[in-house]
Amino acid sequence: MSNDFYTLKILPYAGIIIKICRAYTDSQEDFEDYYQEVCLQIWRSREQFRGDSKWSTWIYRLSLNICLTFIKKKQKNKQHVNADNKMIADTIDNYAFSDESLNLLYDAIKKLSEIDRAVILLYLEEKSQKEIAEIIGTSPNNIGVRVNRIKERLKKLLDGKIN
Amino acid sequence: MEKSIEHIWKHGFDVENKLIVPKLNDLYNRKSKHIVAKFKRMFIFNTWFLIIFSVLFLIYSFFNGFLFGGILIFVLFNSLVLINRNLFKTLNKLDTNVSSFEYITSFDSWLKVQVAMNKKMAHFYYPLLFVCFMMGLWFSDGGQEVINEVLGEPHQIYLVNGVPVYWVLGMSIIAGLFAIFGGAIYKLDLYLMYGHIFRKLEELMKDINELKN
Repeated sequence: MSNDFYTLKILPYAGIIIKICRAYTDSQEDFEDYYQEVCLQIWRSREQFRGDSKWSTWIYRLSLNICLTFIKKKQKNKQHVNADNKMIADTIDNYAFSDESLNLLYDAIKKLSEIDRAVILLYLEEKSQKEIAEIIGTSPNNIGVRVNRIKERLKKLLDGKIN
Repeated sequence: MEKSIEHIWKHGFDVENKLIVPKLNDLYNRKSKHIVAKFKRMFIFNTWFLIIFSVLFLIYSFFNGFLFGGILIFVLFNSLVLINRNLFKTLNKLDTNVSSFEYITSFDSWLKVQVAMNKKMAHFYYPLLFVCFMMGLWFSDGGQEVINEVLGEPHQIYLVNGVPVYWVLGMSIIAGLFAIFGGAIYKLDLYLMYGHIFRKLEELMKDINELKN
């Protein structure tokens, strides 16, 4: 991947990638792996971007797809995860955000299904229902209902934990 | 009053100083090593599969009057395992303290030698496997019964000087076809097992090459 491409086309959107990758990982090591893989895939797929959507939408879509693919692979290899638990515990301190409420919110988001995580991340990033539907590949009609349902679930999960 | 999740998100990231972008370092080195490690794991698994299968088949053949075929297949499979284990030893000698491009290129070269050698052998071992299997059947208890049924009275015409010529001819033709297409069958077999690794390797080499240029 060329430095120019990374600096000009990926780095300004690193925040998006970081937010998404963190919702699908439990350790700093996994997070860095996901982040690097997303960057690599964006670079590899750069010629497929035809400008039909915004570059940021393209990045959201790719990031989510890659994270979803990674998480499926990880579930397949779940037996290895147990062996790595110690390592996760060791790195978890470095992994946490300084804002405790944000940590709790992320913990709650991680309890959602993979698709619901994607929907709520896009909603929190203030994407329109149309954009969310476009990125997720579903009809815009049910996005509003789905977002409300997810918010309710998150509220229950966070109940009493955040003031 | 409880904060809304929208507020937690927005405020959290506004004050967050941990949105540190991970460094894109060593990515290709790690990917190269990961592909080779995956290949090694699969290779070892397949080797053990051949050994276990040949042993189980030998036991099965012993208890089912099929021992001749069992021994032949055991010898054939384990010869293949031995040859490939020797080839595998050279893979462990690849220098890992070089750039990802050099490492992956040397792995690719090793792979090409290995595939070429196995492809050559495939012209022999596929027909041999077929002949072993057929001979095993031929000399098995059940096989003898079938042969007596087929070649006994009134079918003696199929025997020339006591040799079942048509039978032998048919087997020879099939074995010949295996000898001709052995290489192609091996490649198909190989791609069914390792195809996804080869595709990843190709993709990675293309990426690294593109970067180099």
